[in-house]
Amino acid sequence: MTSTAQAEEVIVQLPDVERELRRQRQALQDNEKSPVQLVRMSNLVIFCADQDSANAVAAQVPAVVAAHPARVLLLVGESESDGPEVGARVLVRVRKAGGHQRACAEQVTLHAAGGSIARLPFAARSLLIGDLPTNLWWASPQPPALVGPLMYDLAEQAQQIIYDSLGWPEPARGVAATAAWLEQVESATPGGGWRIASDLNWRRLKYWRRILRQVLDPDTAPGVTESVTEVLIEHGPHAVVQAWLIASWLASGLGWSLEVGRVEPGREITWKLAAAHGELRVRVQRLEQGPPEVRRVRITCKLDGKPSAINLFAEDGRRLVSILENIDAAPRTVNVPPQTSAELIGRQLSDRERDPVFTESMAVAQVLAASLLAEF
Amino acid sequence: VLLVRLARLAKPQTMEFQKKRPANSGQSQILHSIFSQSSIALRLPAGNVRAFRPATPNGGEKKAIGRLTLGGVVAIQDSRKGTTPMAIPAQPALKENRLSHGTHKSLLPQPCVLVIFGGDGDLSCRKLLPAIYNLNVAGVLPAHFAVVCFGLPGNGEIPPNPDDYIRNRARDGIDRFSRQALDNDHWDDYARALFYVPGSFNDSHAYGELKAKLDAVDQQFGVPHSRIYYLAVPPQFVSTCVGHLGCSGMVAKPNEPTAFTRVIVEKPIGRDLESAREVIRAVDQAFAEEQTYRIDHYLGKETVQNLLVLRFANSIFEPLWNESHIDHVQITVAEDEGLTQYDGNSGEPISSRIGYYEGVGALRDMVQNHMLQVLCIVAMEPPSSLAPDIVRDAKAGVLRCLRPMTRADLKQTVVRGQYIEGETWGRRVPGYRSEVRNFFTDHGKALPPASVHSNTETFVALRLFVDNWRWAGVPFYLRTGKRLPKRASEVAIQFKSVPQVLFNASPEVPLEPTVLSLRVQPEEGLSMRIASKLPGPKVRIYPVKMEFNYSSSFGDASPEAYERLLLDVMAGDATLFMRRDVVETAWRFVTPILESWEQERVLNLPEYQCGTWGPVEADRLIEADGRRWRSL
Repeated sequence: MTSTAQAEEVIVQLPDVERELRRQRQALQDNEKSPVQLVRMSNLVIFCADQDSANAVAAQVPAVVAAHPARVLLLVGESESDGPEVGARVLVRVRKAGGHQRACAEQVTLHAAGGSIARLPFAARSLLIGDLPTNLWWASPQPPALVGPLMYDLAEQAQQIIYDSLGWPEPARGVAATAAWLEQVESATPGGGWRIASDLNWRRLKYWRRILRQVLDPDTAPGVTESVTEVLIEHGPHAVVQAWLIASWLASGLGWSLEVGRVEPGREITWKLAAAHGELRVRVQRLEQGPPEVRRVRITCKLDGKPSAINLFAEDGRRLVSILENIDAAPRTVNVPPQTSAELIGRQLSDRERDPVFTESMAVAQVLAASLLAEF
Repeated sequence: VLLVRLARLAKPQTMEFQKKRPANSGQSQILHSIFSQSSIALRLPAGNVRAFRPATPNGGEKKAIGRLTLGGVVAIQDSRKGTTPMAIPAQPALKENRLSHGTHKSLLPQPCVLVIFGGDGDLSCRKLLPAIYNLNVAGVLPAHFAVVCFGLPGNGEIPPNPDDYIRNRARDGIDRFSRQALDNDHWDDYARALFYVPGSFNDSHAYGELKAKLDAVDQQFGVPHSRIYYLAVPPQFVSTCVGHLGCSGMVAKPNEPTAFTRVIVEKPIGRDLESAREVIRAVDQAFAEEQTYRIDHYLGKETVQNLLVLRFANSIFEPLWNESHIDHVQITVAEDEGLTQYDGNSGEPISSRIGYYEGVGALRDMVQNHMLQVLCIVAMEPPSSLAPDIVRDAKAGVLRCLRPMTRADLKQTVVRGQYIEGETWGRRVPGYRSEVRNFFTDHGKALPPASVHSNTETFVALRLFVDNWRWAGVPFYLRTGKRLPKRASEVAIQFKSVPQVLFNASPEVPLEPTVLSLRVQPEEGLSMRIASKLPGPKVRIYPVKMEFNYSSSFGDASPEAYERLLLDVMAGDATLFMRRDVVETAWRFVTPILESWEQERVLNLPEYQCGTWGPVEADRLIEADGRRWRSL
C-alpha cells in the first residue's frame, strides 16, 4: 500500500457521515502539496461478525482500494454483545495512485450489536454512492447461504456478493447450501445486468485450473482425460472446500457423474465416479500441516499409452509445477502471483461477469456434497 | 455429416435441445463445435441434453430426432420413415479441451515455442524478452512454452555457450527495461525455457540447427510443434528468413488440426507501396494471411484500446461522433527525444537511431502506421462484432475513404520539418544533420551522398479528410516530431462551438469549445474541457477540465503493449494486428507524398529549434483554417 496520510478517525452520528467525509477530504487536500483526486469505482460494503475480524479486514482495506478505488462501508455486527444504536466512524486516507497522482479513500465503519445488527443494511443503504456498482464482501466464516434475513437485506442492493469458503466449519453442509443459494441469488437485476456471487476460494484456484487445463489438453496430452483412473487432491488444513472445488470442476468439465461418496472425517473424502471410459476415484486428502491451500494433485492415467501419472504441486507458494511420472521431460510451470486476500478482493471487485463454469462446478459440488451428507 | 443429414431431413433454422440430465458442459461444447459450422441457431438449455428437435421456419415440424451420448456419438432418427438410428461419431469435437469451456478462446494462449529472429538484437532485449518475463511472472504464459532466439550476436562471434549467452543478455535487458524488477525467484523458471541458436539468416545450415533445436525443445516442454516466429529483423531480411523457414519445412499449414505456425512481422513493412507489397508477397509465399500478424505496438496500448470502449460502450458519444457536432480532430505524437541520446553528465552520445531513421523519416516511421491506425479507430464505423476481421474491415473502410492528395494539395496540406540545434530540458542539443554526420563518423563509415545535406524529416504535420458521410468536411490534423518540448501523445476531439448567442454572445471572449482529449502517453487517461460558471453573482464562464487518469483509478500495473500483443498471437487473436489490405491502403495514401517530396529535391526543409513545437509552417497550416494546434 501506499497510504501517505490519513485524517483522524472520527465518531459521528449517522446523518453526519457525509459532512465528516467532506471535512476530512478537504483537510487532507489542504495538507498535501499536490492535488488529491477523489476516485471511486464502486461501493464496497463489508460485513464482519465481530470486532477482531473487522480489525483484520480494516487493515486490508488500503490494499483493496489501491487495487480498486471504492467507498468502503465496513459493517460490524456483533451478535454476542448488546449495544444501543448503530454507531459510525469515518476515516479518509490519501494514497499514492501511480505516478505523481494522489487519491483519497473513504472508509465508514458502522458498528452494531445484538438486535441492532438488523439495522446495518439500512444504515449502509443511505451511504451508498448512486450510479456506482455495489459489492458486498461477506467477511464472515459462516457460509452466506446459512445467514438468513440479514444476508437478504445486504444483498438486495448489491450487484456482486463476494464470500470465502476457506475454513468453513462444515464443508459438506456449506457447499450444499451455497450451491442451492447461488441458484436464487444469481439473478437478473432491475435495469439489466446480473447479480453475481463469487467465492474467493474459486479465484484462488485460477492458476490451478489454468495448469490443469493445459496439462490435460488433448493437443498436448492426447488420450489422457480418457484414461484417468484416479485423481488425488491433497490440501492443507481448512482448505477442503478448495480441493472440493477442483474435484467438482474436473467432474463437471470432463463429464464425470457421481456413483458414490464416502468420508473419513478429518482425513479423506472419496468419490467414485463414472466416466465414458469407465470408473474412476477422486480422493481429497487432508494434510496435517501446511498452508491452507491445495498442495498437490496427482492424476493417474496413461501417457503415450503407458500407465503413468501427472503430478502437480505447489512450489514455494510462487508457482505450480507439473511433472510427468516416468517420462523424461522438463517440468511445466505456471507462476502464481502473490494472492493476498486484499489482492484477491481487489481483482474480484473488477470482475463483474457471471462465471458459468463456477456455477456448473458448484452444481456438481452440490451433488458430491449430497452423497456425503446422506452418510451422516 | 450431421449437418448434411439434418438439412436433408428438416432444413431447420433453429435447433432446440431438451434437457434430460444434470449439467454437462462437455456436451454443449460438442454441440457448439458442430453447429458453429452451420447457419443453424442453437437453443441450448443449461444442462445435459439427450435429444434434439429441429425447428423449421413454419413453426417446427418434428421430423427428425437426434440423440447425443457422452462418448460424442450423434444419432439421428427420421421418425417419418421409422428408420434405424444412424450413429455419427462426432470426432472433431473430442479434440476440444473440455476444461476450457466457458473461457473465451481469445483469452487462452496456446502452447507454443516463440522463436525470435534477431533474438540478440535491440528490440528483443529491450522489449520482447522483458515482456515475456512479465508475462511469466504474471502466470499467464502457457505451461508448455519456451523461447528460442535465433541470429548472430551483434559482434558476429558465436558464443561458446549460446544458451548462457542469451540468458545473460535477457537478464541485462530485464534489469534495464522491464516493467517489473527482476526477481531472482522467478529468474530460474524463466531462464530454463530460454535458448539460443546462433546462425546467420542467410545460412540454410543454421535453419537445420534451428529445426533440430525446436524439435528438442518441443519434446522437452511438451509443445505440440506449434511455433510463433517473431521477425525482429531489419526489413531486408524478412524475405530471406521467411524463404528459409518455408524451404526447411518449418511452417505448418494453416488448417493443421493440432499444431499451428504464426509469424509476427515488425514494422517497417516496406518503404513505399511497392516495397511493402514485396514484403507482403515474400511472407505470403510461406504463410497464409491468417497466420500472419503484422504488429503495430501502438495498437496494444491501453488508451488506444480504450478509444474503442469509449466510443462504443458509452451512448453519449456516438450520436455526437460526426460532422454535425465535431469541428475537427487533432492527433499528436510528440517526442522530446531526438535520434541520438546523450549522457546527462558528459554530454557524450550514448545511443543513436540514426542508422535506422536516416532516409526513413517521420512520415514513414510514425504516420504511415501508428497515426493512421489511431485515426482509423477514431473514425471507423461501429463494427458489428469484435471478431478480428470485422474490426479490421471497419478500420480498412476509413483508410479507403482518405481523400487522396494531389501534388497541388501537398503544399497546403502537408508540412515537414527538421530539428536544428536548440534547448531540450535546459540542455543544449545539436541539430539532426549534425547528429547524422557524427553518427557516420563515429561508426567509421563514409557519409552517404544523400545524407550530406540530409532531407529526412523529423517532423511532419498533415491535414486529412475522411470522405464519407460521417466525416464530410471535418479536418483531421496529424502532427508528430522529434525533439519537441515534451513527450506527449493524444487524440483530441474538438466539438463545434455553441452558437454566438446567450453565453457565447461576446465576440471578444468567445467560449472555448468542448474538447474531449485522450492521452496515450504519458499518464494515460482522458479529459473533457467544458464550460462552467464561476461562483458569484455575475455570469462568468470559465473552461474547466474533468480528468480521468488511468493510474489513479487502476494503479500503475498496466501491461506493456508488447505483452498484450504477444499473448494475442499465442491465442490466435489478430484483432490488433494489421491486415495486408490495411497496410497496402495506408501506403497507397502515403506514397504520393513521398514521391512528391522525392521529386521536389529541396535543399533545406523547414527548420525548427529543438524544444519547440515544430516549424512555423505547421502553425500556418492549421491557422489557415482558423484553428490552432492544441498546447499540450
